[in-house]
Amino acid sequence: MKHRSSNHAARVTLVALALLFAIPLVWLLLSSFKSQEELVAEPYRLLPREWRFENYRDAVQAMPYLRYLRNSLVLCLGSVTGTLCSCTLAAYAFARLRWPGRDVLFAVLIGTMLLPWHVTMIPRFLLLRELGLYNSLAALIVPTFLAEAFYVFLLRQFFLAIPEELSEAARIDGGSEWAIFTRVILPLSRPALATVALFQFVAAWNDFSGPLLYLSDPDRFPLAYGLEQFVSAYSSQTALLLAAAVLFTLPIVVLFFLAQRTFVEGFRTSGLKG
Amino acid sequence: MSNTRRPLRGRQAAIAIAFAGPWLLGLATLVVYPFCASLYWSFCRYDLLRPPEWIGLDNYRRLAGELVRGDGFGQALFNTLYFALVSVPLSVALGVGVAVLLAGNRRGRAFFRTLFFLPSVVPLVAASILWLWLLDPQEGLINAFLGQLGITGPDWFKSPNVALLPPAWLSGTWGIGSKDALTLMSLWGVGNFMVIYLAALTDVPHELYEAAELDGATPWQRFLNVTLPMLSPVIVFNVVLGLINAVQAFTQVYIVSDGQGEPLGSLRMLSVHLFLSAFKQLDMGYTSAAAWVLFVIIVVVTVLLFRSSRRWVHYAGATR
Repeated sequence: MKHRSSNHAARVTLVALALLFAIPLVWLLLSSFKSQEELVAEPYRLLPREWRFENYRDAVQAMPYLRYLRNSLVLCLGSVTGTLCSCTLAAYAFARLRWPGRDVLFAVLIGTMLLPWHVTMIPRFLLLRELGLYNSLAALIVPTFLAEAFYVFLLRQFFLAIPEELSEAARIDGGSEWAIFTRVILPLSRPALATVALFQFVAAWNDFSGPLLYLSDPDRFPLAYGLEQFVSAYSSQTALLLAAAVLFTLPIVVLFFLAQRTFVEGFRTSGLKG
Repeated sequence: MSNTRRPLRGRQAAIAIAFAGPWLLGLATLVVYPFCASLYWSFCRYDLLRPPEWIGLDNYRRLAGELVRGDGFGQALFNTLYFALVSVPLSVALGVGVAVLLAGNRRGRAFFRTLFFLPSVVPLVAASILWLWLLDPQEGLINAFLGQLGITGPDWFKSPNVALLPPAWLSGTWGIGSKDALTLMSLWGVGNFMVIYLAALTDVPHELYEAAELDGATPWQRFLNVTLPMLSPVIVFNVVLGLINAVQAFTQVYIVSDGQGEPLGSLRMLSVHLFLSAFKQLDMGYTSAAAWVLFVIIVVVTVLLFRSSRRWVHYAGATR
């Protein structure tokens, strides 16, 4: 009897918490269809009195949305390509090859994950500016071709779990390391590659500090940064801001539902195997 | 034998270095060089217009002065520590709490898990815009709702107050302010930590709970003596990760404070302070010194946490 009542209390708490977590998202979505007057007068009202789908059209027209979107996609696809190319190579060297200095360098790799970005921020900025990359999306894409420690670590853990016999068999058949890498390891690592691609896509889509530092020409802004420009300029038009925020969030949420397993597994492995 | 082996080994090493090449290049140019350069510049006056000029410990003296007076770096450090020390424990408690509730509720678990996880995938820029509105003192949802109940809501992001600082309670100036609003926002995004706890919980052997139940342990005792010890390694990991994230929090702080760290510098966190002093004041030497102090703090805290964790963390099988 006592058991059942405590179960009941737990269930009620869970539902109450779930409501608290859901309310901001529900209100974001529904309020984005309200008129500005209604939003100010009765923000607590759930459904709009009048559904203003025009908010979305107005939001897209108020800023160069399509240009921002194009920049975002260039940034995302470019940096996913860079990350996949460079990180798989480094992870292969750390997981499947024997070479002097490997273990020391691996410790260095782990160490770089602890380094706050502020320490490297200024020299990095000046270096990339010196290379003529300032005010170009390339400033944000080129570094991804030089590998990111976290993804190298993630992929290494995955590569380590692939049986060594598979590589040995390929070596006996006269396969080069490159052939083993491309024909044995990579095809077996699709889940890990998907995780890394997904994480990097989302990271690039969301990246705010990168564009803030490196881009000055509004024509080159990706959505995350373009949207922020819109915050102070349109602070009196909350409904439009919310509509723009929905448009910006939606692709990530859709991606999340399409790849929920990859997302959650990715968080789990990145958290647990530390 | 050794004649054939050596070139082979050399070849292997060459191949490995080719594979690791892009990362090695990145390490040299984007980590090691910046690391050394910023250390050097932390002892210089450097405004980008003239070459760096050695001034010894002046930047560090300035930092120490600001620490003592509680302005500039001192204020930023206080803001950052307050946010980190309030938001990280709360998010551990909330994350573990939700995970325990979810683990005990089989019905609809997938649905609830998705629901709790979803806010954590909302991009920070969008989440900041959303919470700026939700917590707007006049027009926001939360204060409007409180107003309906006859309660005057706090000024949230627009107030420099702090809610959880004992000296402020005594002086009667306490209240909910910008950093507490930021904490609330970060708690909403606790879902990614929660799934890690949930995964760890489902790995706890069921026999442990059965044994505890046979011994007549209450649910609370079972939580304290079985669940918490089994979760402790994951908790330590998440606390370290959470602290590092909180100390470096930038995007949401920048957006809700309109890039200024206002009101009254209450949102001038370290990351915002460093960004402004580097790219608005062009004070590269001072910023480098501050970044180094931040780095040392992060290293010390991380080492201390992992060291002390050996005493209170239960690692399964470690007793053998």
